[in-house]
Amino acid sequence: MTPAWTIASAFAGALLVLLLPARMAAQSRVVALVASIIGALAAGAGCIAKLASPEAPAWSFDREWIPSLGARFHLAADGLSLTLLLLTGIVAIAGVLFSWNVDKRQRAFFALFLTIIGGVYGVFLSRDAFLLFVCYEVVILPKYLLIAIWGSTNREYGAMKLTMYSIGASSLILIGLAAAYAAAGGTSFDLAHLAAADYSASFQAWAFPVLFLGFAVLAGVWPFHTWAPTGHVAAPTAASMLLAGVVMKLGAFGALCVAMPLFPEGFAQWRGVIAGLAVIGILYGAFTALSQKDLKFVIGYSSVSHMGFILLGMATATHWGLRGAALQMISHGIIAGLLFGIAGRVVYTRTHTRDLDELKKFDLWRSLPGGAVGFTLATAASMGLPGFSGFVAEISVAIGLWESFPLLLIPLVLGIVITGAFSLRALQKAFFPVRSAAAAKPPKLPPLSWPEITAIVLLLAVSLAIGIYPKPWVTLIDDGLASPLFQSLLP
Amino acid sequence: MNYSDLFQQLLPEVILVVTALVVLGTGLAIESRSKPASNSLMSAIACVGLLLAGLSLLRFQVSGDAATPMLALDPLARLFKGVVIALGLLAVLLPPARDEIHQPGEFHALLLFAITGLSLTVGSNHLLFLFVALELASLSLYLLAGFPRTARAAEASLKYFLFGGVSAAFLLFGLSLIYGFSHAATLPEVATDLAANPTSPLALAGLAMILAGLGFKLAAAPFHYWAPDVYQGAPATSVALVAAASKAVGLVVLVRFLIIGFHAAGGSAAWGGMVAGWSVWLAVLAAVSIVFGNLLALAQTSVRRLLAYSAVANSGYLFVGLCANGTSAVGAALFYVVVYGLATLGALAVTAAVERDRGDDSVSSFAGLIHRSPLQALALLVFMASLAGIPPLAGFVGKFALFSQALAETSTAGSPGIVWLVGLAAMMSAVSLYYYLKVLKQAFVTEAPENASSAPVTTGHALAIGIPALILIALGLFPSLLLEPVTSALVALLP
Repeated sequence: MTPAWTIASAFAGALLVLLLPARMAAQSRVVALVASIIGALAAGAGCIAKLASPEAPAWSFDREWIPSLGARFHLAADGLSLTLLLLTGIVAIAGVLFSWNVDKRQRAFFALFLTIIGGVYGVFLSRDAFLLFVCYEVVILPKYLLIAIWGSTNREYGAMKLTMYSIGASSLILIGLAAAYAAAGGTSFDLAHLAAADYSASFQAWAFPVLFLGFAVLAGVWPFHTWAPTGHVAAPTAASMLLAGVVMKLGAFGALCVAMPLFPEGFAQWRGVIAGLAVIGILYGAFTALSQKDLKFVIGYSSVSHMGFILLGMATATHWGLRGAALQMISHGIIAGLLFGIAGRVVYTRTHTRDLDELKKFDLWRSLPGGAVGFTLATAASMGLPGFSGFVAEISVAIGLWESFPLLLIPLVLGIVITGAFSLRALQKAFFPVRSAAAAKPPKLPPLSWPEITAIVLLLAVSLAIGIYPKPWVTLIDDGLASPLFQSLLP
Repeated sequence: MNYSDLFQQLLPEVILVVTALVVLGTGLAIESRSKPASNSLMSAIACVGLLLAGLSLLRFQVSGDAATPMLALDPLARLFKGVVIALGLLAVLLPPARDEIHQPGEFHALLLFAITGLSLTVGSNHLLFLFVALELASLSLYLLAGFPRTARAAEASLKYFLFGGVSAAFLLFGLSLIYGFSHAATLPEVATDLAANPTSPLALAGLAMILAGLGFKLAAAPFHYWAPDVYQGAPATSVALVAAASKAVGLVVLVRFLIIGFHAAGGSAAWGGMVAGWSVWLAVLAAVSIVFGNLLALAQTSVRRLLAYSAVANSGYLFVGLCANGTSAVGAALFYVVVYGLATLGALAVTAAVERDRGDDSVSSFAGLIHRSPLQALALLVFMASLAGIPPLAGFVGKFALFSQALAETSTAGSPGIVWLVGLAAMMSAVSLYYYLKVLKQAFVTEAPENASSAPVTTGHALAIGIPALILIALGLFPSLLLEPVTSALVALLP
């Protein structure tokens, strides 16, 4: 089972769902679940094989595609790609489980869902800039349709804003990639070839920020993050999970594995600015989350804050920092998926409100204990408590920061403190309200269904597994960071 | 070359003219019969003629025979004759948007004459022959635009004719200046003379006039004022021919002039390395068209007018490729014009059907199309996404190839090439997604009004939307199928 099964299962699943006859529309979720499981298994098998024999050559698939452009159909999986594939697979399974009760236009819903998953897998596996960009762009229309058709609050606005930010950022990526391609001789889009080319310093000084910003917008860099909270809130649960969990990682992955290796000198010139923006993003996201009324907005802004750690880790240009950034990608993917899943699916479909003050009435701790336990653990993970994945990621970033920008540790620590504050505030308001003696008896809510329990347990287990025993993940990430692409970045 | 060879080389056009005469005669004979039936009969005859003409292209032989200096017998001509005939065939299959064709015989005969003219134009090397062929196409198109007897169609036709007449005058004046410069009327000879004297003001003045004349054909700003009215008022079939086939032909003629005839006077529009020449003119035209077309398209509520402004913007993208003045970028532009033509033609086919069902072509008429007619809605998704440049569709590959090759051709060690223009084009292309999404949003997201219904899709209609959609998907996944032949045809052209 090669990693190519990830892409193949997602796109084949999408096609199969579309071709289901109308009377079998309800079965589309089963097809989607099977496709997601196959993808996750393929990614997991790749990870295990890599850990078992680290010296074995990386899997790759290289075919001629568009010779006149110099674009090849080149996929390859190193440790970093494999862990991100596994993350995508897990979030995909959880996303399908949290969407088990979608009843409107199910076939279209799951076809679009699987198309996004397939595009994400494609980006993580591409070793050709053209192919990578194709997969990156494939995601745009399904994102729009998922939010605009199945979304909630202000869905058409949120969907359009998110799409215009994405496509605008993509045009920057296009300019950056085309400029790199032209400057490298105009013969090949192979990433290794582009990274090996000798670009002049003045060229890198403008090409790097263009390319990096293009990717960073999708990673939610301040001040281009505003699409993220509105988009996440407007999206249906599964789409919020995908957007925050994996689609934002596409931006981070592109910044880390395309923009930085291509233009190392440009990166060296601009990394101070990136670090500054990342710290502002961490603080801004955290402070804004502190004053939100809507539970999903709290999670949306917390995503902006957490994505700041990824950018900050990259900006350190140290091994610890890059490793922390990669760990944070995985950690945040799991935790954001979990938080959005519980807030959007478990809570909202039962209470029909996400307003923190309204939620008090439901006394969720009593009426929905399973949801409360799940959200409490997810909040603990999100705050970066030891034992969960967030701690491992954040401590790595902090170590990297100590090596390169020690003074920035002060705002970083402040950001972590505020993160604790807004997380506990939301948790307390939504799930553990202070009950006055005269409070009415809370309404009865249906208990958690088995797909919900499975999804919550799956995501929590992964977060705990990384937090308690990070070694295999770190080994895989270090394998990716040992690639020649990063040689020029790390001293 | 003797007459039988000549006949063989012009067989497609001969077949088209004969078919046109047959259609005209049949139209006279059965004029009293019912309109819809005779319309279908004429369409069927025209389709057969176009198919035969397309097949006869297989016998077209590429040769560098100097005995027929008027005809370009090169791979580019063969390829684009095929493209013109195929686009013409699809245009004939387009469903009528309104009850608009009163004389089906004349309409289809003019359609075939227009296609004949366009097909001759792409295969001409001689200035005078080029002009005559182009005028055959243009005069037929002016009439085709005014076919329904409505005030709007009359306005469209008159505007098209007046602008077309002036631009034809410009073109002819430009051609005469070039003839005055080189005393030769074939493009290769002009090229030889120009290589010796690349900055001749006479030749450059001639080229500027030709650019104005062909800018009209391509609907490039600021020569585009006819486009919105023609797109809105003319029958769908005529618009499809103007938007897809006529644009492709305009581009091929421009490529022949610029890349073969005036290669030496190209100059450069590169950032930090600007050299006077037609590249700079084209870069300015491109920038104006892209900005103007995209921004005005944002404000449109009529889908036909929206497509007209998108046509303006897209001619700007084509100019980006041309002003790089190199084979791979120009090849990408030729690829793009075919892909653009297919997508626009398909979008017009869906628009025409919506117009027939709902009475107008406003964006809100598309509401709930996915429920009324899933096939058309999915096809519309393909066309609009291809126009917006979303993978895995051919429009994406076209734009990407256009932009990346334009940069690759112009960038040097000291200059990043026309990155200013490519950057502008890429950003504005992102803006264009907004107005294409506006239509898609109605089709997929907005619920249909209560009374909305959709007439069943006929076979011809299904072909007119199905074939372009499938080609766009196939070319998106395997762009080499068209990109390689186009590029090699272009390389074969250069001395």
